[in-house]
Amino acid sequence: MKREKRHEPDLALHIEDLTVAYEGKPVLWDIDVNIPPGVMAAVIGPNGAGKSTLIKTVLGLVKPTAGHICIHGYPPRQALKRVAYVPQRSSVDWDFPTTVVDVVMMGRYGHLGWFRWPGRRERRRAMDALSAVGMEAFAKRQINQLSGGQQQRVFLARAMVQDADVLFLDEPMAGVDATTEKAVVALLQELRDQGKTIIVVHHDLQTVRDYFDWLVILNVRVVAQGPIPEVYTGENLRKAYGGRIALLDPDSSGETPDAVPREVVN
Amino acid sequence: MVTQAVQRWIVALSFSAVLVMGASGARAADVVTTTGMIADVAANIAGECLSVEPLMGPGIDPHLYEARPSDIPLLRNADAILYNGFNLEGQLGKVLARMAESRPTVAVGPESMKDDDLIKGAGGYAVDPHLWMDASLWARIVPTVADVLVRVAPDCESGIRSRAANYRQQLLTLDEWVSASAASVPEQQRILVTAHDAFRYFGLGYGIEVVGIQGISTDSEAAIADIRSVVDRVVSRNVPAIFVESTISRRTVETVVDGARDRGHDLTIGGELYSDAMGARGTPEGTYIGMIRHNTRTIVESLGGSVESWPGSLPSFAGSGRSNAAE
Amino acid sequence: MLELLGNHTVQTVTLGAVLLGMVSGLLGSFAVLRQQSLLGDTLAHAALPGVCIGFLIAGTRHLGWIMAGALVTAVIAALFVQVVTRYSRIKMDAGLGAALSVSFAVGVVLLTYIQGHASASQGGLDSFLFGQAAATRPSDLWFMGGVTLAAMALVALMWKQLKLVTFDPLFAGSIGLRVGVLETLLTAMIALAVVVGLQMVGVVLMTAMVIAPPVAARQWVSRLEHMVFLAMLMGVISGVGGVLLSAGVAHLATGPVVVLVASALVTLSLLLAPGRGVLWSWLKLWREQRSIGQRQMLVTLHKLAEHHEDPYYPVERSMLDSFYGVATSHILRRLQARGFVVPASHMRQEGPHWALTDAGHNEARQELERMDWNQAEV
Repeated sequence: MKREKRHEPDLALHIEDLTVAYEGKPVLWDIDVNIPPGVMAAVIGPNGAGKSTLIKTVLGLVKPTAGHICIHGYPPRQALKRVAYVPQRSSVDWDFPTTVVDVVMMGRYGHLGWFRWPGRRERRRAMDALSAVGMEAFAKRQINQLSGGQQQRVFLARAMVQDADVLFLDEPMAGVDATTEKAVVALLQELRDQGKTIIVVHHDLQTVRDYFDWLVILNVRVVAQGPIPEVYTGENLRKAYGGRIALLDPDSSGETPDAVPREVVN
Repeated sequence: MVTQAVQRWIVALSFSAVLVMGASGARAADVVTTTGMIADVAANIAGECLSVEPLMGPGIDPHLYEARPSDIPLLRNADAILYNGFNLEGQLGKVLARMAESRPTVAVGPESMKDDDLIKGAGGYAVDPHLWMDASLWARIVPTVADVLVRVAPDCESGIRSRAANYRQQLLTLDEWVSASAASVPEQQRILVTAHDAFRYFGLGYGIEVVGIQGISTDSEAAIADIRSVVDRVVSRNVPAIFVESTISRRTVETVVDGARDRGHDLTIGGELYSDAMGARGTPEGTYIGMIRHNTRTIVESLGGSVESWPGSLPSFAGSGRSNAAE
Repeated sequence: MLELLGNHTVQTVTLGAVLLGMVSGLLGSFAVLRQQSLLGDTLAHAALPGVCIGFLIAGTRHLGWIMAGALVTAVIAALFVQVVTRYSRIKMDAGLGAALSVSFAVGVVLLTYIQGHASASQGGLDSFLFGQAAATRPSDLWFMGGVTLAAMALVALMWKQLKLVTFDPLFAGSIGLRVGVLETLLTAMIALAVVVGLQMVGVVLMTAMVIAPPVAARQWVSRLEHMVFLAMLMGVISGVGGVLLSAGVAHLATGPVVVLVASALVTLSLLLAPGRGVLWSWLKLWREQRSIGQRQMLVTLHKLAEHHEDPYYPVERSMLDSFYGVATSHILRRLQARGFVVPASHMRQEGPHWALTDAGHNEARQELERMDWNQAEV
């Protein structure tokens, strides 16, 4: 494969003019996103805003109609070894006959290539990752015996063994107990402190400011993006969520509200 | 959007197309039979007077045949319908019953046979229907068929009666020829192994033991136990040849050959027999007499006998073979 | 019955059944885990038009053309389903069902057309509906063996990829696996397995061979590697069992008996498997309920002893009976067997008494702790 000149190599994620259509309707339109390395970014927006689709398109799982994507300057297909993906838990059949450590070892398949089989080294990496997430006691456990929070930790461990520079997570806190959520956030922040870029599709507006330092607000188009203090404003949120947002602080001057807005369940 | 008028045209055209397709596919005949064997007899008796058509052509299995929509006009336009009876046409019962309401529909088997002609209680069938395998029995249907033809075409009665007498004589001559030919097979080799149990009347009439792998009707699958028992008999009786049939897959027969060869017995496939249907139209085997001739020759010569010389009073089948079938 | 195996015909059919069991168990495992069991059914039914077309082209009952035709139409049906579900609103199960019915209907129409029109050599074509296992010939075995070997080699070679694509297709795509290609490959192999089984069990029953052994195997094991091996083993057992059973009895068709054995294996597995089996759950439930009664009894005895300030306080059994409203002697006897209570006596004219042992008191105290400290495991 020809080594192309890197395009926007200083950005962890560079998306330009991206459009993705489904059944003729645009799910994402004219998306420009630039995320610098070393941040923990949240992607938020109402249901149907295209958040999951954005992640899948970046990873090459969905074909875009227009636009281009670069990860650390490389097109996605060349950057496979530098990214890790944690899909939504519901996308997997958890009754599959396999053990916890087995799932984590799958994270090394990309590095093993087509013909090599996972061995002792891979197993050790997997066990280390499981320790980091507090699940090493569960290594031999069947995955259908895990709770939601435990499943999420296993997924996270799998992402960790991929040695990626950029991690993409799709709603990792959905349906997870408070302890696990705190543990996951702490781990992600630690990874960020090691220099990795974390990009998370997040569903809970209440915790965005506490967990993340970068924000992308999405509703088919990019409403706003940038560091949290600049972007997380009542005005931006109202633009994205329309009337479906209740602000506790009636102040609509555009300043960061004191109270935390609640997303009305639609 | 398609307008109302155009829609109506489309419907009308479709209907016409269906009618045309249905009509153009229809054959028409005065007398319709189920099997070709009956048709050949009827055609020989009817001569130029009436047209005869069989529902089932060469290679069609009468045990399994189901009436198709294109058969109904053929049956309905017929002046008379002839069928074998004794449940040979297993899937046609309802159709024949309906047709019988408005035209003579005659089961030539039950109408013509005497009770002690019949082989009963074999393999779950009340009566074995394969009557045509014994030419002397088949000769008995000639008067029955002639009676029906006379009912349909009374003007032709004298012609019909004389042709019937002539043809019946031919069948009796055929019967003698088969008898003599079969007698030439050495005593210990007089065993006929075929794919299904169609040849009992042949065996009974001409003194040969018959073994069918599959039972009387072809709708039962040959089981492993059936194959094994046939192989056992073939080996213990030292049978030289086994026969395939035109209406049945070769594979069950080939499996018996495999089994016998494995036990050191060299079993050959003696040839293809016409059991439930005649051969292709226009060939000698496409007539009843030709079919019996072919079967007899194949069986007798493979089992180590030799056929008698062909009687002069029977059709000679010289060269390409003249067919006596109608149309 | 095993002496049947000395017979050549039985040997041939058995070997065919073994190969069929292996390839169905192997590939069916992936179909079942991807929740595409209906796919096997669709492919099997879609093979029927191909069988007829193969016959129409070749004009004889030559197996090679017929198998090729079956494979082509099966694959076309699968591709049709993929296209339809991707580009329209139709979901997978509806798409599979539609492809199944339509192709089977086409097949039956072709079959009756051939039966009504063909030359004198089409007999036995309808044996592909239910198979004709007894007529398996050594040449068939070469074909079946080749396909089985190829399938095993392919699965062994691509084990990691197939496992990942089956478990988590999104993640698999994200590390660069060509998910679409692998899924198509898997479908094509299942189609091949179906074609292998056509001669033996026929179009209608083939789907059971693809589904039953993996479902049965799943109940017993917890790793994909074990599941695939066990599914192949169960396929082989179904095959051999079916052949021997049908060969021992006259006039039993082999194909359906093989399927019956496979179904029996599934039923037994669903009932008996440890951990997942129905009977197993019932047994666990029953044991739970029993132990609850025992635990309550211990606590009661313990509290009574506390109240009377005597650790060896003997409690009259009829007192317990009236407290619980039921006869308690069997509970007490079981507690005695576990060493938690001993018979005691107080006054001669009273009935049997029971007292807690030290072990019994410990157990009771632990139970009380458990009841207070109710924290779910995180």
